[in-house]
Amino acid sequence: MSVVGCLLGLLFASYSTMDYAEHLDRGLHDIHCSFIPGKAPTSEAEACRAAMYSPYSALFRESMWGGVPISLFALGAFAFLGGFALYLWLARERAPKVAVGFFAGVGITPLLVSLLMLTISVSKLGHLCKTCVGIYISSFLLAVGAVSGLFTLKGGVRPALSVLFVVLWLMALGGTTLVPAAVYAASVPDQSPYLSKCGTLKQPKMTAGAPVKIRGSRAIQPVMFFEDPLCPTCRAFHERLLDEGVFERLDVDLLLFPLDSECNWMLESPIHPGACIVSKAVLCGGDRTRAVLEWAYDEQVYLTRAGKAGANVLRAAIKQKWGDELLKCVDDRKTDVQLNQHLHFASDNSIPVSTPQMFLGTKRVCDEDTDMGLRFALKNLAPEVLQ
Amino acid sequence: MAGLIGAGGGVVLLLAATLGVKSWVGSAKDRLEHPAETKAKVAIADQAEVAYCTPRFKEVLERVLHSCGLAQDETRRGCKPADVKTFASISDADFNELFTPLKDRGAVILFDEGMQDLDEGAKKLLEDKWFQRKGARYFFVVARASKSGNQAKNRALSHRRANSVMFDLTSVANDPEIDKKVGLLWLGNEFAQLSKDYCSWPTSRPNEKCDEEAINRSAFVSWVDCRL
Repeated sequence: MSVVGCLLGLLFASYSTMDYAEHLDRGLHDIHCSFIPGKAPTSEAEACRAAMYSPYSALFRESMWGGVPISLFALGAFAFLGGFALYLWLARERAPKVAVGFFAGVGITPLLVSLLMLTISVSKLGHLCKTCVGIYISSFLLAVGAVSGLFTLKGGVRPALSVLFVVLWLMALGGTTLVPAAVYAASVPDQSPYLSKCGTLKQPKMTAGAPVKIRGSRAIQPVMFFEDPLCPTCRAFHERLLDEGVFERLDVDLLLFPLDSECNWMLESPIHPGACIVSKAVLCGGDRTRAVLEWAYDEQVYLTRAGKAGANVLRAAIKQKWGDELLKCVDDRKTDVQLNQHLHFASDNSIPVSTPQMFLGTKRVCDEDTDMGLRFALKNLAPEVLQ
Repeated sequence: MAGLIGAGGGVVLLLAATLGVKSWVGSAKDRLEHPAETKAKVAIADQAEVAYCTPRFKEVLERVLHSCGLAQDETRRGCKPADVKTFASISDADFNELFTPLKDRGAVILFDEGMQDLDEGAKKLLEDKWFQRKGARYFFVVARASKSGNQAKNRALSHRRANSVMFDLTSVANDPEIDKKVGLLWLGNEFAQLSKDYCSWPTSRPNEKCDEEAINRSAFVSWVDCRL
């Protein structure tokens, strides 16, 4: 069972690492997100993508673009434990007690790490990535196999082995766990030259209208965001900034860029129906702007459904949460004009029709530097926000 | 023996994993340094461009824009009839035909005979049209005068009507860059007069009798959804 657990663990950790490494080319790729090993990567993998972009997926993310994915440590550990499990399986009753005991001890460590990651997934990310769950199950199989080995120790005579071997095996386990990570760290390309190659704002100040201001509690860095409150990627980006502790360091100029053809002429059909109305609610937020925006992100699934059901359903949802005054403002022509000014600002600056977008000063932060490379990009472009 | 096989198995697994890592990172590095030439095109935010923006329409508008003061840093504003005739290089009928697709997007502001003042209906309609900007960059005002009176008087009258519209827009728009958005043309009674058919267009006096005289005591206003 342990051998099977290790091989499965290796497989799932390989998929996870492969997906991570593939994104080092700064492109957007489909990713593996299935309980079935070998299933082709897919674009419908939001939970796995969210896990991959999260601050918990990698170490040293400030010094290395994307950091060192923790799946690399799993690769090394499963390789060692797989070899050890194979040895115990072949040796059976001839395996020394100290070896069986050692394996029972270290065989549960992947499960402990899995439990920790599972807790983080549920409590911080709010969803489970299937590939990660594959690793959790593999760890469980490995742990069950390792611990069940202890029950074979009753009776029978087994060869004696010095306890010093435990030290040797621990050193070997440590070494093999680090090897893939070390190779990865030594091979990753330097992304610094690419950080500032995604364009600049042609016209940094709005000539008509004004952006929405959201000032973090310890704001130090001016930044401009183009966001759509019904865009899942914007929500994930916002959550990432909060999780990373970055958002409170930002003095945000928010430009609403709803991907909804009801107000956005740059689209032929709505990508996020109802986003124009929700954007106007954000514009009408006044001193509650951040609360309205975060409400829209928190209730995004419900609001998206309401948006598809029709404008009145959405307006009712806004009224129920924020009251009649805010809804009146949403319906006011001045708010239409304000939203239109935000869209024209986007068009005057020829920005890509996508959300979210982040500008530090006039410099556009590349899309890939707002997800996997976020901490690395901030460390290089605005290090003070990480302090 | 079992120990050797186990150790060998572990080494093989580790080697396979490490070589895999090396290869995945290597290919990503290669793609990063030598990107594929055919990258998917990303749409870029821009002004609206709708079906009526034919090359001919855009050509005329562009000439008008450049010749009537909307081009950057020009102090001269507006186009008088002779300018339009010269720069548009287009017959009266063809000129009017170009604006036909704007029937629903725009409106005709009507004036009293010999007057340039906007009544309440005109102000409301003008404001409504101004705030329905959507993705347009330019707002056109084409003022006219009817046949009554001499050419010079009508030229001046249509000029005053165009200015009336501009003054009103300036007060409602609260836009410091309004000069770069509004294109003023005044045609007097000498170029591109409207036929009675234009009485069916949205006007500021929908309940009043409309004939060829009345429809030319006007200013046609509309946003133009073309990238110029």
